[in-house]
Amino acid sequence: MKHPPYHLRINKAVDRFALIEAIRRLEKLGNLNEYNYYGLGGPYLEEFRLLYEFYPEIDMFSIEQDEETYKRQKFHLPCGTLHLENMDVKSFLARYDSGGKKSIVWLDYTGLEYSDFEDFMLLLTRVAEKSMVKITLRAEPRDYFNKGEEFRKKFSAIMPRPSEDPPPMVHDFAYLLQEMLQISSQKALPADVPIKFQPVSSFYYSDGTNMYTLTGVIWPRREKTAVKQVFKGWKFANLTWSEPRLIDIPTLSTKERLCLEGFLPCLKSPGKTLRKALGYLIDEDVPITEAKLKQYADFHRYSPYFLRGIP
Amino acid sequence: MGRTKYESVDASPVKSFFVSMLTRDIKLEEAILDLLDNCVDGILRTGKKTGSEPYKGFKAEIEFREDSFTLSDNCGGIPWVLHDYAFRMGRSFGRPQDVPGTVGVYGIGMKRAIFKMGRQCLVSTRNGADQYEIEITPQWILDENQWSIPVKSASKSMDQDGTVIVIGDLYPGISKRFNEDAKAFRSELDRMVSTHYAFIIDKGFEVRINGDVIKPRPTKLIFKDVPQGTSAIQPYIFKSKSDGVDVFMTVGFTRPIPSENEIAGEQEEKRYSSLDAGWTVICNDRAVLYCDRSELTGWGEAGVPRYHTQFIAISGIVEFKADDASKLPTTTTKRGIDASSSLYLQVKNKMREGMLLFTNYTNKWKGRAEESKKQVELSEALSFEEIKTKSQSLPFKSTKRYVLEGEQYKPSLPMPKRLEPTKRRISFVKEATEVEKVGEYLFNNADAEPSEVGERCFDLMLKEAQK
Repeated sequence: MKHPPYHLRINKAVDRFALIEAIRRLEKLGNLNEYNYYGLGGPYLEEFRLLYEFYPEIDMFSIEQDEETYKRQKFHLPCGTLHLENMDVKSFLARYDSGGKKSIVWLDYTGLEYSDFEDFMLLLTRVAEKSMVKITLRAEPRDYFNKGEEFRKKFSAIMPRPSEDPPPMVHDFAYLLQEMLQISSQKALPADVPIKFQPVSSFYYSDGTNMYTLTGVIWPRREKTAVKQVFKGWKFANLTWSEPRLIDIPTLSTKERLCLEGFLPCLKSPGKTLRKALGYLIDEDVPITEAKLKQYADFHRYSPYFLRGIP
Repeated sequence: MGRTKYESVDASPVKSFFVSMLTRDIKLEEAILDLLDNCVDGILRTGKKTGSEPYKGFKAEIEFREDSFTLSDNCGGIPWVLHDYAFRMGRSFGRPQDVPGTVGVYGIGMKRAIFKMGRQCLVSTRNGADQYEIEITPQWILDENQWSIPVKSASKSMDQDGTVIVIGDLYPGISKRFNEDAKAFRSELDRMVSTHYAFIIDKGFEVRINGDVIKPRPTKLIFKDVPQGTSAIQPYIFKSKSDGVDVFMTVGFTRPIPSENEIAGEQEEKRYSSLDAGWTVICNDRAVLYCDRSELTGWGEAGVPRYHTQFIAISGIVEFKADDASKLPTTTTKRGIDASSSLYLQVKNKMREGMLLFTNYTNKWKGRAEESKKQVELSEALSFEEIKTKSQSLPFKSTKRYVLEGEQYKPSLPMPKRLEPTKRRISFVKEATEVEKVGEYLFNNADAEPSEVGERCFDLMLKEAQK
C-alpha cells in the first residue's frame, strides 16, 4: 500500500503537537497512567513516537487494517509500550471494552463517510468517562461540488439544515462538519445522560488535502466547569463549538526560524513584526505574508523542524 | 328491590390521563407537526385556498428556547364558533361539520402538543372580529375538578388573522432538548418538516424554525418520455375514488439501480444516513408515513421481496384525499397508517402490484447496472404533482376486476436481452486490496469499479493470447 509522507506534513505535525498539549492539560484532571491510547498511526507511527517521548506512562495501541502496513509498523516500532493490532476500525470498535479504564482515541480518517460519524457516536457511548476522543475527517468541498443531493443523502440525518447544499468554501465546509459532529455527539449522549462530549479544540488544515479535526473529552455534566477551567487558558481551546481554527503555517528555513526566535512570542501585530524582522516577503504580497507569519507566531511552538540527518 | 351498594361507578375522565399518558404515544417532533396540521386546517377554513400554490402567503413560525416554545401563524385563527371544540379534550358528536380537507378528527392534537411540552400555555387567536386568548396554568392542570378554562379578550392586538401558542414552564426533558441538545433537535425537526410537509411547502406554505425557512425535500420519480407502446423507465400509476376518498398512487425509480459494488459497500458500512427508498403515504396533503420499507407498505408480503439494499432505487407515493377526514386511513397521531383500514388494505394490493414491476426489473438487471443506467439517460425526474399532471395524457386502463375499482397505467419496463449463445458471463471474487492495486495499475484509480478492472484484465490477456 502506498502512503503519502504523513510524518513530513507540516500542518498535520502542528495538529499532533496540539493533541500533545491537550493531553498535557488532561493530566491536570487525572493521572495519565490511568489512560490507554488508541490510534491509526499509519506506517511511520508518528504520533506514537511523539506520545512516548512526552508521556511514556501511557499504554498505546495501534489499529491497522492493511497487513503490509502492519508489517511496516512492526519495523518502525518506537517503543515496547506500543501494541500493534492488525484489524480495521469497525472490528476494533466491536471488540473494544474499556473495562472502566480511560482512553484517548484518535479516529484519524482520511475520507468522509457517514459510517465515520457512526463510529464516533458508538465510541462516545463506549469509552469510560473522563476519556478523550479526537476525530479527523476529509474536508474537501470540491468533492461535493454540484453534488448537493448526494451529500444530503449521505449525511442528512446529522446535518444542521438537512435541505441545504454543503458550502463551497473550505472554512464553512469544515464548520459544517463540526456542526455534524456536534449533532452526532448530542444524539449519542443526549442531555438526559449524565456525561457529555465537551469539545476542547478544533482545527482545519491542508497539506495537499483539506482536513478537519475535533478533539473533546467525555466528562460528567456536573463537573464541566473543571474541564473548562483547565482548558480555558489554552490559546487554541474551543470550548463552545465556535468556528474551527485554521492551521496554515508557512514553510520557513531553519535559518529564518532561528532569526525569528528572538521576536517570539509576539503579542502585538505579530505578522507585521516578523515580516519586518525578516526584511522581505515570503508570499505574494504584504497582507498574505503577514497572515502567514501570524500563523507561524501562533503555532511556532508546535512547528516541527525537518533536518537532514546522517543515518 | 331495595338500594344496593352496587349503584354506579365513576367513569368520568381523569385529567392526568390526558396530561401524562396521551403524551407518551407521540414523539416531540410529531406533536409539533400536529400543531402545524392545525395551521393547515386553519388555512382551509379561510376558504382562500386556490390555484397551483394554494398555500402561498400562509406561514407558520416555530421558535424554541430553553424556557419556551412558540408557534405563530397567519392561518386564519380559531373561529369563536369552534372555541368549545378547539379546547375540549377529544371531539364530541355535536361538533358542526368542518370544512372539507381538514385532518383533525380526534380533537387532541393541540392539547397533546401543549401537555407534551410544558405546564403553562397561552393561546392567542384572531379570526375576523374575534380576538381572544386562553391560558392554561399549572394549577388548572393539577385541579381534577376544574374542566373549564376562562377566556379573555386578547390583551395584545394581532395584525392579521392567526394564532400564537406560547408554551412555558417546560418539562426538564423538553427544556434540555431545546437547549443542550438544540442542534440535534433542530436538525431532526427540520428533517421531519421538510419531508412530511414537502407537499404543502411545495404548494406555497412557509415554515420557519428559529428564523430559517425550511425547504421541502420531495421524492421525484424517473419518467422517460417515449412514444406509446415503447419500453421505458416510467412509474406505475393507479387512481381510484372510493366512498368519498380520492386515491392516487405511483411507484417507480428515483435513480438508476445500484451496482453490485454499491450494494456490497452499503452492506459493509452504511453510506447513506437517509434514503428516498420506500413508500410515502399522504393524507390531505400531509405525509403520514415517510419512506417506509416494512410490511406495513407491502414489502415482504404476497410475492414482493423484503426490502434490501438492491431496491434502494424504488420509491412510491400514495395520496388519500377526503373531505371527511375520518375516512382517511390514519392513526390518532396522524403520523401513521391504520393498517386495518379496509380502504388501505385494498390500496396496498395495488401498491404491491406496482412494486413488483420494479423489484422484478431490479432482479432481472442485477449485475448489469451499467447497461440499465443507460435507460435513464435523457429522462426527467418528476415530482408527485408533476406526475399527476403527466398522468392526464397517459392511456389508463380500468381495473374493474379488483375489489377497489379504479384505473391504472402500467409502464412497459425494458427487459434485458438474454445473452447470445456465443457469449459467456465471467464473475469472480478477489481481495478488495488486490482489486484496488490492479485498479491503480490499470487506471491510476484505486476506486475503479471492480467489474471494469476485471474486464480490462481479460481484454489485456486476450490481446496477449491472440499474438
